[in-house]
Amino acid sequence: MSAFRRTAVIVGYEWRRALAKKKVLALVILAVLFETLPFIILTGVAPAFMTEEVKVTMWVFGALSGQSLFIQLVAMIIAGGSMAEEYEQGTADIMLSKPIKKVEYMAGKFLGGFLLLAFVEAIMVALGIIFAFAFFGPQRDLMFVPLIYLAIVYSTLVFFSLSFMFGEVFRRSTLSVMTAFGILIVSSIASSFLSFLYMQSSNQFYLDAGRWFPTWSATSFPSLLVSDLIKWQQNPFLMVTGPGNPIQVRTSGDVLLAAIMIGVYTIVFIFIAAVRVVKSDVTKKIA
Amino acid sequence: MSHSVISVSNLSKFYGDFKALDSVSFTVDKGWVYGYLGPNGAGKTTTIRTLLGLLRPDEGEAQIAGINPHKDPVNALRIVGYAPELPNLQPFFSAEEMLDFMGKMFGLSRQARREKITQLLELVGLKEQGKKKIGKYSKGMVQRLSVALALINDPLVLIMDEPTIGMDPEATVHFRDLFLELSKKGKTVFISSHLLDEVQRICTHIGMVNRGRIVLSGRLAEVLEAFTQQWVVEAELKEATPEIVSALRNLDFVQDVKVDGNKLRIELKEKKDFRGEISSEIFKHKGVLLGLNLHKITLEDAYLQALRRGQQG
Repeated sequence: MSAFRRTAVIVGYEWRRALAKKKVLALVILAVLFETLPFIILTGVAPAFMTEEVKVTMWVFGALSGQSLFIQLVAMIIAGGSMAEEYEQGTADIMLSKPIKKVEYMAGKFLGGFLLLAFVEAIMVALGIIFAFAFFGPQRDLMFVPLIYLAIVYSTLVFFSLSFMFGEVFRRSTLSVMTAFGILIVSSIASSFLSFLYMQSSNQFYLDAGRWFPTWSATSFPSLLVSDLIKWQQNPFLMVTGPGNPIQVRTSGDVLLAAIMIGVYTIVFIFIAAVRVVKSDVTKKIA
Repeated sequence: MSHSVISVSNLSKFYGDFKALDSVSFTVDKGWVYGYLGPNGAGKTTTIRTLLGLLRPDEGEAQIAGINPHKDPVNALRIVGYAPELPNLQPFFSAEEMLDFMGKMFGLSRQARREKITQLLELVGLKEQGKKKIGKYSKGMVQRLSVALALINDPLVLIMDEPTIGMDPEATVHFRDLFLELSKKGKTVFISSHLLDEVQRICTHIGMVNRGRIVLSGRLAEVLEAFTQQWVVEAELKEATPEIVSALRNLDFVQDVKVDGNKLRIELKEKKDFRGEISSEIFKHKGVLLGLNLHKITLEDAYLQALRRGQQG
């Protein structure tokens, strides 16, 4: 049996585990709620800026609305439990006493969890488009949907792999998710504060330093890409990276920088997790 | 050429400052039923988990069929079936799903898995509960399923950590017979157990570990022989008369006779079965014999002696 097949067996197992734990169902319900509520609120409030030009671009708002926090949180929950729960429940023993390399096992768990996350995000994007049609009528530039979807999924890799790494390092699911979430919050505050300092002082150092935090690339990449692809300056929801935004400031080359940062963070976190898996003992049941 | 299926040499393992295994070495050849004994915390499970590549040894090496499971787990564990002590199985799977999943991990085809599942569930007596979630199983049922899971790949080596713990007596006998049958088919069976009677019944070889060190190892019959100081015949008579006792004491092969009511403990000079001669002598003196047993040494006696020696040493 090839390494690919062994990894695929673990991917299937990870999905089966998520389905059995009703994780998928809970996430889908949350995704529906998360997507529905903003549209209902916007329709009810009907602010002045909701012109026809804005309404036809609301699908992007739907696709990106959960990107900065909700989907990151989902990513951390899925990844934090992926390895850790197997140690907590003592099931890692059974799996790793079978003919599979530890790295293949880890790869299967990572891919399985990440595909699950991609599935949840696909539902969110689909709902965003459906609700945009339902609440605001026909939408424009839908040919960018696949690319924007992929960008969102790619951007979740940072906190997914961070939480996954903590899951393997700590071997405690709750602690892993809490730690990763703490880093998200601290990083987000620090990054925003540095952007603010840049706005006040025009010192380039603050701007550059803010971009080294994981939150910047993880939360900005899809919206940076959107503003590169689609020039809809009229839609206030899509101007988050525009020059008028006090928190995030746009400079050329940011999309590429964000993409590289996501890749670098992901590789580092996966590498640490892999070293831990390969070099340490399989602990017995610890819950 | 070595026939060793399992080979452990100078294996040491530390948990912090605690030395769980101290230069453990032994080999298990093809077709052996090897009983691995020792008190709680002696290092039995640590040995097994190191052998399976779950723990990294600090010193030494373990091999299965000449392959180090740490370096090449795919080829080393392909031929192994493992049933852990108190297995933690995924509670959301049914027995059928769990067996199917394990079959996939060994690369079995869909058809092969289907056939194996039916066959194994029948073998371990879970045919009727195959679709029931494992989370709803009793301890004994989980243990049965664990043995079935260990057999899914038709392994050449079976490694069982306390395999009959939690099973009812009927199941214990059934599984004991199963292990014997598997060994007759040329499979190597490695059993870690506290049940000395069970080990004595089915094992061809034993190894005993205490405080992380091997204190006893070898062919079971030879180990027992080595620990036997003296053979004793225990006789129960309707009436143990002084004439009978005196006559028995005068026999050339008798060391001494101890009397406890109508029961006699006849200590022999040689390690030989003299029950025929003893019964003839009793009948010659009009004695009525109710029972006659040759008492050599049990594994339990040897185990306790080895433990005592270890503690003294």
